[in-house]
Amino acid sequence: MSKKPTPQPALHKVIMVGSGGVGKSALTLQFMYDEFVEDYEPTKADSYRKKVILDGEEVQIDILDTAGQEDYAAIRDNYFRSGEGFLCVFSITEEESFQATQEFREQILRVKNDENIPFLLVGNKGDLDEKRKVTLNEAQGRAQSWGVPYVETSAKTRDNVDKVFFDLMREIRSRKMEDNKMSNGKNKDKSKRKKLKCTIL
Amino acid sequence: MPAPVVTGVSPKEGPPGTRVTIRGENLGTKQNDILGVEICGCDCTLSTEWKSPNKIIARSGPGKGRGQIIITTASGRGTCTVEFRGYFERIGPLKESAVWVEEASPIGPGPWSKGTTFHIEDPLGLSVEADDTKKLPEDDLQELFPGCNGDLSSEQFSPGWFLLQHHQSTSFDDLRVGLTYLKRKVDGHKEGQLTFLKGNVSSVMEQLEVLEALQAAFQKDVEDFGNDRTKKIVDAIMKSKQEGKVLFDGVLKGKEKADRTRNALGVLQRFRFLFTLPAAIDRSMQRADYDAIISDYSRANNLFGKTEVNLFKKVLAEVKLKVVDIKNVLKTKLHSMPTTLEAQKKIIRNLVQLEYDGDPGWEAINVHVKYINGQLNECYKFHMTNLEKFSSPDAKSKSSKRDKNMEKQNSITERVDCIEDLCDIISLLLPELWSLGQSYFSGDLYMKPDQNKLAEFKSNTLACISEMCRLVRTSIGQGKSPLVGWFPHCLQCLRSVAAQLSQIPHDPLTALIHHFRMECVKSVLVNAAEQVNELSAKENWNQIHEPNYGLITQLPGLFKTSVNTAVTTLKGSALQKEAKEAELFDSEPLQKEAGHLVLVIFNNYKKVMEKLSANGEEEQSFTVSQMGASTYRQNQTTLSWEEKLLCCVCNVKYSCEVVLPDLCKSASAAGLPPLDWVMKESAASLGELRSQLEYMYKEAKSDPLVGTIEPSMYIGHFDWDTDLPPRGVRPYANEIIANLIAVHAQLERCCNWMKDTALTQITETVTEEVNRLILCAARMSNQGAMQAKLDITALQFALANYTSGPAQHFLGEALEAIPPLSKADEKTVEELLENYKTRMHLQLYAFSAKSK
Repeated sequence: MSKKPTPQPALHKVIMVGSGGVGKSALTLQFMYDEFVEDYEPTKADSYRKKVILDGEEVQIDILDTAGQEDYAAIRDNYFRSGEGFLCVFSITEEESFQATQEFREQILRVKNDENIPFLLVGNKGDLDEKRKVTLNEAQGRAQSWGVPYVETSAKTRDNVDKVFFDLMREIRSRKMEDNKMSNGKNKDKSKRKKLKCTIL
Repeated sequence: MPAPVVTGVSPKEGPPGTRVTIRGENLGTKQNDILGVEICGCDCTLSTEWKSPNKIIARSGPGKGRGQIIITTASGRGTCTVEFRGYFERIGPLKESAVWVEEASPIGPGPWSKGTTFHIEDPLGLSVEADDTKKLPEDDLQELFPGCNGDLSSEQFSPGWFLLQHHQSTSFDDLRVGLTYLKRKVDGHKEGQLTFLKGNVSSVMEQLEVLEALQAAFQKDVEDFGNDRTKKIVDAIMKSKQEGKVLFDGVLKGKEKADRTRNALGVLQRFRFLFTLPAAIDRSMQRADYDAIISDYSRANNLFGKTEVNLFKKVLAEVKLKVVDIKNVLKTKLHSMPTTLEAQKKIIRNLVQLEYDGDPGWEAINVHVKYINGQLNECYKFHMTNLEKFSSPDAKSKSSKRDKNMEKQNSITERVDCIEDLCDIISLLLPELWSLGQSYFSGDLYMKPDQNKLAEFKSNTLACISEMCRLVRTSIGQGKSPLVGWFPHCLQCLRSVAAQLSQIPHDPLTALIHHFRMECVKSVLVNAAEQVNELSAKENWNQIHEPNYGLITQLPGLFKTSVNTAVTTLKGSALQKEAKEAELFDSEPLQKEAGHLVLVIFNNYKKVMEKLSANGEEEQSFTVSQMGASTYRQNQTTLSWEEKLLCCVCNVKYSCEVVLPDLCKSASAAGLPPLDWVMKESAASLGELRSQLEYMYKEAKSDPLVGTIEPSMYIGHFDWDTDLPPRGVRPYANEIIANLIAVHAQLERCCNWMKDTALTQITETVTEEVNRLILCAARMSNQGAMQAKLDITALQFALANYTSGPAQHFLGEALEAIPPLSKADEKTVEELLENYKTRMHLQLYAFSAKSK
């Protein structure tokens, strides 16, 4: 409870994106509280924050769990703007959710204006392998084309749950360090990034 | 157990009443562990549901903006790492809401039309075409789709119309995208409904429960009361209505009766009032409460003035008789003085109200005038009788001088008192009269004034003032004004009266004041003259050294002080010109008169000095020394007459050159007319006095001196025909020189400026005498001639500085008369002379320095 004299630990802002019902909240709650929620309750926008030890260093993770429903598509832009890293989740049992990741990826790149934004493609519901609709190859192929890692998880069994969050945080951290270094390099790199973005669009 | 920490919130924002899932650590182990939940500063403890130590659910309160979620459990007040944002949602007609939003209808031109205008989004999610010009005219649309329109909320909505109206130039692709959007939206809506129900399940369940309870209650009522459940109530209402009517009728009847009784009582009361009126009037009379009588009387007149009933007429007549009595009483009151203005005005008002058929205001004024005159005369008479008391027995008994003085003083005080009292009367009563008159003529006295009487009123007022002035004038008394020093005081009294009457015409008073001012000047100046006359008694011969004027006494100072006092007194009273007062010395004769008065003062002063200088004349022979030795100041305190004389001379000179101009200047500055001629005249007469005194001094000095020469020349049977050779200067010559030294000393001390002329003249007379004596010598031996020559040359040498032409001549003649001497004798004489000079060196030193 008492305030530590040490400086506030670094804060990494993670945003969960993906279609409705793919298990974003389940992943989040599993990561945060080690609990699995069976019943489905659409999320609007939930916020979580806790301290974790990342490679022996205390950091804070802030998770914004967004709504998958299209109703809320309009307000996503606003959320995305504050994110430092994204977990783009789809359900391996639902083809449409996999397709939708493309849209999310585009929206994020548009909003963040940065191709190298920390980003993980997450195929959830790995425990339901018998109902798989999206093949591993398919998913890995897309991840490769984006230049991002692909991880399959299971919120129910907690398979790879910590891994996706920690991997993302590591990326965010290294990205931040890179940015700090590059503050000497000034705008050079930024303009480069801008260019890249233009080609994609 | 550590304090709770909130690490998660779902959702992180929402309107009031949002069901918020709060996750964290140490959130208690049971529902009762939760002591407090705060969302955005709003207490939400009551709506809190404990789920697990990691999760509770609460509903947000009306907090607005970002805020923390603070959980308090037995282990303390918690912290929070996340934030909740509360906002207020606007509920539109198409927006589902699980809570009742507003009492008023949310549709129509109700309350929310004045807020944001309701804007229907494009259902295809496409931007509405901005270009109005391309739009199809309404008539064409009407033709294409008869009986339809493009309003989304209308039943006759026609999609074709809508598309043509809003998306005429939208591309097909775009329209397709719009369609998918619309589809998705519809799907979402369906799913959303489910979501919505899920989200608000407790509300919905509550509503259902209420509905069920209502239905159950209704069913029970049907069982209990049959199908027509209101019949019993209707019967009861009808019955109570009838009963109420009965009751109300009773009340109405009672009220009617009461009203009638009250009316009757009122009438009776009125009659009773009339019958008791005479008695009431009597009572009020005793209390002198005329206002009450008047109001009663007018009330009775109003009520019964036109009555036909004989009894009432009779009583009324009685009342009227009483009123006549009252009028008479009031009239006598009005005529009785003294009384206050207020009381008088009240009586006048009462008389007017009682329809008095005179002019009470005018009567009051007359009474006032009469009263003032009466008071004035009474006061005057009272003081004059006192005055007579003082003077009459005095004349008979011929008491001592001091008593007489006392009497005189008393009579003066009496006169002054008289004037003061007269002033008081006027300044007290006249303003009252005036204000009464003012109120009368301005119509403040409750009646129409008779303006014709205005002139009469004014003349009456003036007459009062005139009367007062006349009495004041007579009280001054005749002959040599007996009030002398009191004039300034009286003047002040009169002036204060004038100030009091400044609003009222008071010409006679102004004239009187002018007269007083004149009298005041005269009396003060005469008084000053008298004081100056008595200055001689105050001379104490204390000498003061005044550079350039020699030794003077305090006399000029005293004189100056007394005149200045008089001038200051005048300056403060008569000479001070107050507003509306005329110039005092506006004519030549008046100026002359004032000047003469001043001249009298100065002349008196001159007389005083004359008197003082003459004082010691009888002691003259005594004070001058018989033999050369000076009797210079035998006594330290008393001065010799000659010294006094010298002081007087100095005084005169000082007064003439310093005091007089000063006085004239200050007098003119104080406001007296120019006094140049007075000063000139006084200066002339003082100059005369001075030369007279100077002459007296010289005479006084030279006469005894000359007288002593002959005796002392022949002292010891000396004969000019002597055969004794001269041994030195003879005593007589020495005595002459010694005496002159004494005179010189006196003058040097007292009156330096007179030294030269006085000594020269004395020397002249002395040399004349010496000359006469030498010429008279019958025979002169050689030795005698030597002696004479020695004596005369010694004199010549000693007095050289004060020897004028005639003196030179006298000495020369004397020398010639001496028989010629041989050379040897001449030498002897010269030797003796040198011897003399050396011996007398110190004595002669006094003469050597001629005064500057």
